[in-house]
Parts: sequence; C-alpha cells; structure tokens
Amino acid sequence: MATTVSTPVSAPPTGARKGTRHKGVQPLRAGQGHSFLLRRLHSLTGIVPIGAFLIEHIVSNFEALKGPAAYAAQVKFLNALPFVRVLEWAFIFLPLIYHAGYGMYIWLRGKSNVIYYPWAGNWLYTAQRWTGGIALAYIIQHVWRQRFSGVNLPDHPGAAFHKVQMELLHPWMFAIYAIAMIATCYHFAYGVWLFCAKWGITSGERARRGFGWVCGVAGLLLCTIGLASMWAFVSPKYRNAPADLTPAQITEGTQAPAPIGQAHTR
Amino acid sequence: MQAAETLTGAAIPLSKPTGKTYRIEIKRQASPDAEPHWDKFDLPQRTGMNVISAMMEIAGNPVTTDGRATTPIAYDANCLEEVCGSCAMRINGKARMACSALIDKVQENGVVRVEPLSKMPVIRDLSVDRSVLFENLKRVQAWVPLDGSYDLGSGPRITPQQQEEAYPLSRCISCTICMEVCPQFNEETNFVGAATIAQAKLFNEHPTGKVLKTERLHALMGDGGIHECGFSGNCVTACPKMLPLTRAISEVSRDVMIQAAKDIFTR
Repeated sequence: MATTVSTPVSAPPTGARKGTRHKGVQPLRAGQGHSFLLRRLHSLTGIVPIGAFLIEHIVSNFEALKGPAAYAAQVKFLNALPFVRVLEWAFIFLPLIYHAGYGMYIWLRGKSNVIYYPWAGNWLYTAQRWTGGIALAYIIQHVWRQRFSGVNLPDHPGAAFHKVQMELLHPWMFAIYAIAMIATCYHFAYGVWLFCAKWGITSGERARRGFGWVCGVAGLLLCTIGLASMWAFVSPKYRNAPADLTPAQITEGTQAPAPIGQAHTR
Repeated sequence: MQAAETLTGAAIPLSKPTGKTYRIEIKRQASPDAEPHWDKFDLPQRTGMNVISAMMEIAGNPVTTDGRATTPIAYDANCLEEVCGSCAMRINGKARMACSALIDKVQENGVVRVEPLSKMPVIRDLSVDRSVLFENLKRVQAWVPLDGSYDLGSGPRITPQQQEEAYPLSRCISCTICMEVCPQFNEETNFVGAATIAQAKLFNEHPTGKVLKTERLHALMGDGGIHECGFSGNCVTACPKMLPLTRAISEVSRDVMIQAAKDIFTR
C-alpha cells in the first residue's frame, strides 16, 4: 500500500502551527459576525415583500388586456391605498435596494464552476446570479423611466396605458421587457425553491425535486401572465390609446371597456 | 504472470497488459510556493489500472515523455478502496478519488490529466493541505463529549431508527471533494463546507452528542457558516460516499434558524 510517497517534503505544510495565517480558505469563524442575519434577511426579502410585490405587479398589469380604462382604474386603485408612498418605500424600494445590493455581493463572492461541473443544480445556481443581475439592470431603468420620469402616474393614472404603450412600441424595448420578464420570473421561482431548501422546509431529496416542479410551473404561469399583459400594449386592439383619461372615463371604462382608441381619434 | 488465489482458492484476475499505452499529464510543484508546471508520462496500459497505480509506475521509472529524468510524484493515498479519503484530486478537471478512477474509464483519447485540489494549499505535486476541514470540525465540536474524571457508565440506547439516520452521515471520509466542487467554498466566503455541516448533524442527533447541539448551531451562525450555502447541489452529486449532504444542510439550516429565533426571545 502506498502512503504519502517518497521524496521528502521540503517545507512544513502550513504556517498555522507557527502562529501565522493559514494559507487558502479560512476555517469557520464560529459565532462571529453578522453575515447570518444579513444573508437570511436577503433570503426573506426575496419572498416578502419583493416576491409578493412581483406577483401583485404582474397580476395588476394583466388588467391591460381589458383596455386602457381598466388599466387606469387598477393604477388608480393602487395609488389610492392608505399611506401608499410609505408602503411603496417600506415594502418595495428599500427591500429591493437591500436585496439587490446584498445579492450582488453574494454573486461577486461565489466562484461559479459550471464549466467543470455542468450539473443541473450548478446551472440553476449560476442562472440565479445572472437572472438577478439582468433583473436589477432592468428594474433600474424601469423604475426610472416609468416611475420617476415622464408623466407622474400616481397623479395621472389615466396616462398609464399610453406611457407603457409608448415604451413597448419600440421593438428593442419590447425585447428588453420580454427578456427581463423571463429572467425575473425565473429568479423568483427558483428563489422560492431556494428559500424552502435553505430554511429547512423541503429538507428531503424527493420533496425538493417535487417542489422544484411546482416552482417551475408557477414561474412559467407567472411569466405567461406577464408576457400576455405586454402583448396587450402592442396588440392592434388598443393601438393609439389616449395620452390621458378623465376620471369619468376611467370609472366608465371599468364598467364597460370601450375601444378607447376610437374615442381618441373621434 | 500467475493468477493469485484467495484463502478459499478462488482465482483473482490479475492486471494484464493490453499492448496499448496512455499518456498521463500531471500538474506539479516542488514546494508550496513554487510555480506549478506540467510533467507528461507515457505508460503501458494494463487492465484495471487506476490513477494511483499509474503514480506507482512512474515512481518506478520517473522519466517524462521527452526523456527527462525527474522525481517521483508526491501524492496522498492509503487504502486504495475509497474509504480512507486521502487521494482526492482533480482528474480531467473533476475532483474525485484517484484510487477509484480507473485508467480505462477516465482517459480521454488516451490522455489523463491530473491536478491537485484547487482550493487547498499545495504542499508538493498532488499532495495538499486539507487541515481546514479538521479546523472546521473542531469549531463545530464534531464529537461526542465523554472525557471526565469518573465512570459515566454505559451509553444511552440508540434505536435502529436513529442508526438508519446516522449511518449515512457517518460514512464521511473527509476527502474534501464536497468543498472542492462547491462554488461557495472559496477564499472570499470562507464557507465551512458540506462535510462539517453533515458531521454537526450527525453529532446533534447522537443521544450523548446532542448536549453540544446549541453550541454547534451557534458556531454555524458565524461568518462562513451554513448560510453561505448556495444550494448548487454539487456536493451531493460529487460525494464519493453518497452522503445525504443537501438534506443535512437543509435540516441543520432549519435548526440554526430555530435557534436564532429562540435566541431573540430568550437571551
């Protein structure tokens, strides 16, 4: 039997015994630091409130399929919630900034090795980082262009459909939105799976595989709803939506969605 | 060459020459700080050879393909049956046990590339310093505390059900392959790695070992702890002993979470 082979080893293996810093990966810093709290907070914020908001946002946008008036009514409803600006910052922007910032930090510290180990879980791990990055880049431009520049939608809910339509009519922009929709839904669906795995909810191999399918189907459904709403803005049915709707038109519209495009050209 | 016999007289098939040769390329360095270089060796192929027997053959005649005499390869190996955990290395880019890497199976177009583990400091050639695992096991107190000044009597009874849970985790051979293949185990995160978490689980479930459970969970909350896991699942795929590593991480993760919640209200 071979033991450690022959030629004498010149230097002692580590500096650890001499009290110097050990080379390579350092041992666990048992009980030190706050990374546990920060990492778990990152995991939690991905589900609530950010994930919950993502579902709300995609489902709300589905109203676009009913036309500009119904879409405006939904925007008006959301902006009429009590403490809406507080809700917006506390449950959307601040958690999003934290999740994105810490997420980038996690991405930069991981060393993807999918080239050497092209296994399913490893691909999902790598894709989670890339889709997070895509989602972040998209969200920055999306929030800037749709929320903080141009027509202020909280004050003019009637202008919502037109504003989004102008954006999506650019083929490049439509492609960016479609890619971001797919990336974000993937990131969320896999994020839910990861959450359940990491918090010990699906600890068994079979449970994790089964829940993987559940998350996959749910993510696909969410993505389909999102892409369908995008289609509503560029479909021939609602071409040339009016730049703004009066409160009366919004109220009337929810009752009986009229082809607003004609009203505009009248 | 004659066939060997076991005690019962059954013939053991001996390795036979195939008449073919293969090339083995080995990434070497003379000392921890030396620049690595590649040495190539052409060896006659016999049936049933593994990467360790190739090293032995090189040691018998350490001459490279271009006719240069060199030193034998330094490497760690012991049992040659995948239970001692010594001979983990990267073979054709993938971390695995060299003793179970059969030349017939692992060669790609007649070539086998062998490198030391990439995440442990190299001592020499393929021999690496894996003491970080030992350090981590110490930090989570991966043992059953029994030392004392008086006779503790017989241990508590362990049910067959507990044995069924514990046995798969007890198979760990400390080869560090789970850490090598983990994208989160690196010098940025200094993640503790799957093996240590699995051992923490093993001793947390032990009727005597569980007395240290709270301390183990607190240790795993520290920087580089269990939360650094990214659930790529590479560990469980690569583990040569098929430990249920992802299950252990998920369950210990839950225990750590519950402990953290308890701490908020009771500390």
